[in-house]
Amino acid sequence: MAVVADAGVLYGLVAVGAGLATGLAGIGAGVGEQGIGAAVVGVVAEEPGFLGKGLFLMLLPETLIIFGLAVSLILMFAWTPFSGIVTP
Amino acid sequence: MLRPVKMSRVVVAGSKDVISPVVEKLHELRLLHIVNYNGSQAEFGMGKPIGKAKEYSEDLIKLRSFSRHLAIKSKAPEKTYPESQVLSEMDNLLNNVGADVTATFERITAIEADVKSKQDQINSLRPLAVLPLPLEAYYGYDSLATFVGTAASAVDADVAKVSPASEIYSGSAKNATIVAVFVPVEKAGEVSSVLAEHGFAEMSIPRLEGSVDSAIATLEGGIKSLEGEKVPLQKKLADMRKQYEDIMLATDEYLSVQTQKTEAPLRFAETANAFVIDGWVTSDQSGRLKSELESAAGGKVDVQVLDDKESDDLVEHGEDVPTKIDNPGLVKPYELITRLFAIPEYKEFDPSLLIFVFFPLMFGMILGDIGYGIMVLLVVLLLKRKFRTDGWKQLINIVIIADIWAIIFGFFFGEIFGPLGLWGRIMGQLPEAQIELLKGEGLYFGEGVFGSLGRLGPLGIFPMDRLATNAVLLLIGTSIFIGVIHCSVGSILGIKTELNYGEKKHAYFERLPVMLFQIFFALALLGLVMGQMILVIASGIVILVSIVMMVMGPEGPMGLAHVPFYVTNLVSYLRLLAIGLASVGLAYAGNQLAFFVVMPMLSGGATDSAEFSIAAIVIGVIVLTLVHFINLLLGILTPFMHPLRLHYVEMFTKFYSAHGGGVEYSPFGHVRKFLKA
Repeated sequence: MAVVADAGVLYGLVAVGAGLATGLAGIGAGVGEQGIGAAVVGVVAEEPGFLGKGLFLMLLPETLIIFGLAVSLILMFAWTPFSGIVTP
Repeated sequence: MLRPVKMSRVVVAGSKDVISPVVEKLHELRLLHIVNYNGSQAEFGMGKPIGKAKEYSEDLIKLRSFSRHLAIKSKAPEKTYPESQVLSEMDNLLNNVGADVTATFERITAIEADVKSKQDQINSLRPLAVLPLPLEAYYGYDSLATFVGTAASAVDADVAKVSPASEIYSGSAKNATIVAVFVPVEKAGEVSSVLAEHGFAEMSIPRLEGSVDSAIATLEGGIKSLEGEKVPLQKKLADMRKQYEDIMLATDEYLSVQTQKTEAPLRFAETANAFVIDGWVTSDQSGRLKSELESAAGGKVDVQVLDDKESDDLVEHGEDVPTKIDNPGLVKPYELITRLFAIPEYKEFDPSLLIFVFFPLMFGMILGDIGYGIMVLLVVLLLKRKFRTDGWKQLINIVIIADIWAIIFGFFFGEIFGPLGLWGRIMGQLPEAQIELLKGEGLYFGEGVFGSLGRLGPLGIFPMDRLATNAVLLLIGTSIFIGVIHCSVGSILGIKTELNYGEKKHAYFERLPVMLFQIFFALALLGLVMGQMILVIASGIVILVSIVMMVMGPEGPMGLAHVPFYVTNLVSYLRLLAIGLASVGLAYAGNQLAFFVVMPMLSGGATDSAEFSIAAIVIGVIVLTLVHFINLLLGILTPFMHPLRLHYVEMFTKFYSAHGGGVEYSPFGHVRKFLKA
């Protein structure tokens, strides 16, 4: 296959992509947690015993970051589609 | 262990003259979970309380009302009292002490209200200080209307227009103009509307005399003397609390027990001369219950233990069998996690044992640091001395067991306060030159599983570096592998639960395909990574079969809507790696910052730790403490909450939610806390 790009540039782009994957997923999870967090604080003010369950509910959207992170990890460590098209 | 304890249905019938000894015995034995009689049969009426039920509950209300004034709450008992002492002190406690407490408390409340009203008066007087009038000038007129308040703009001219005969005073306070307008009563309406145009807001004037300043001084003096009266009263309450707290809790317990006993017949069925009690008892104790009750009632009672067939019929007809979960001591704390979710139904599984197996493993895999492990252990042991209630004890025991796993994983990961932390100094490390040499030869250290730090391990086990490329890949695989096992165990329990309820279709076409799908999805991924196409194709076929089974299942094609959920279930287990990585990353960065940036910079570029100056070491240690403290706080919370989520969302949904929560076995009786047996 023809050489179309410099390895350093490609690696840099992959790193940017990986950062975006985790970062944007983090924003998404944050938006999700915002509402839950507010509601949990409200409930805990009324009934302090709910704190444990509340904290747990707040964790539910955190799966989103895990997905983002999974994509990042794959990009950084496991994905080598460019091996044929970059300069050594 | 995995199943709730076996229960037997018991019916106790007896003559009414032995109802008291029977109740007394039941209360003492604490074996029978009473099923309340619902009044559904015409021949039987509801039971009536026996003995002095009314007196006991009145005393209890009295006691609780003044124990609330003393802010007494239930706590771990420090002292226990024999019943005789409670009885002899009860009269004094309920009448004299109670009256004293109530009077003191009411006086304090009255003082507080008085102080509050004086404070309010002072606040409304303050602005009036800018006007030259004494306070008695503001009220007591028959022919004059008075307007006192704040206005946004000058009112003089406009008021004079509608009411030529008027007297107006004004002065400016902090951020408003204070005006006092006196006009003839008949002009009041017009003046009021004129004032409204100027943004007038009326103030209430306390009916006092003399100048504003002296009135404020009098009020402040009053507040001071009231506060002076309050302090000794509060101290008195605090002293009384200290003196009577334990005996009050014991009395509360005594009265509660008595009310429980005397009101128990409300839950029985009664005829004119007999009573019937329905209930459940653990099967192994049914014989004991029978013989004890019969001897207590002198033969005037009949105890029938129904055989399993009959009990099953009752269950079929929708009666709730109470669930008693019973686990060995080590597993017991983990029942807390089960309870937090829901008590399983009698026919479901009690997952506490599984939580005991998986939860600490997951916690350990996430935290995985000897240093943090020991710190968490110390913190938790400190907390254990402080918090003595049952809930806290269980929580702390959960963390202790899990924490031991964190230390074990710490050896695998070679981390004592992060990978760059104390491991190299305690367990040993290859010298820098040798690492370079080995790297040059392409040997051993590098981006492999063992990372680039050259750490040596005990017993010939080299620690793996969680931040190294291959280690991350290995841990991804391990996480998913744990996920598959975890979910499959859940699915197996799900299949068995459905079979227990006799729902074969749900078992084989709803629960089973999920398990097949998840296992073979993971195998297909493994095949892809290893380049084994046969494995991928074989797994693909099984996945197809499982999907067909789902379509054939009770939900029909709608069942397919859940398929993405089963995939995310597995991906979700990546958090075992991910959260661990985040904390390792933070620890690594902190150590790097302290050892390779802060300390060398402050000691003039020295690279060897022996040459660091004292100041550099002090500042470095502060940086380290800060970073690791934050990391440790996160390190207690997240490795706890995330495995919890993996259990509740990923595992429990496979077998738990199908039939909803059960009723916990709570035998009639009482566990003594403050009363001596």
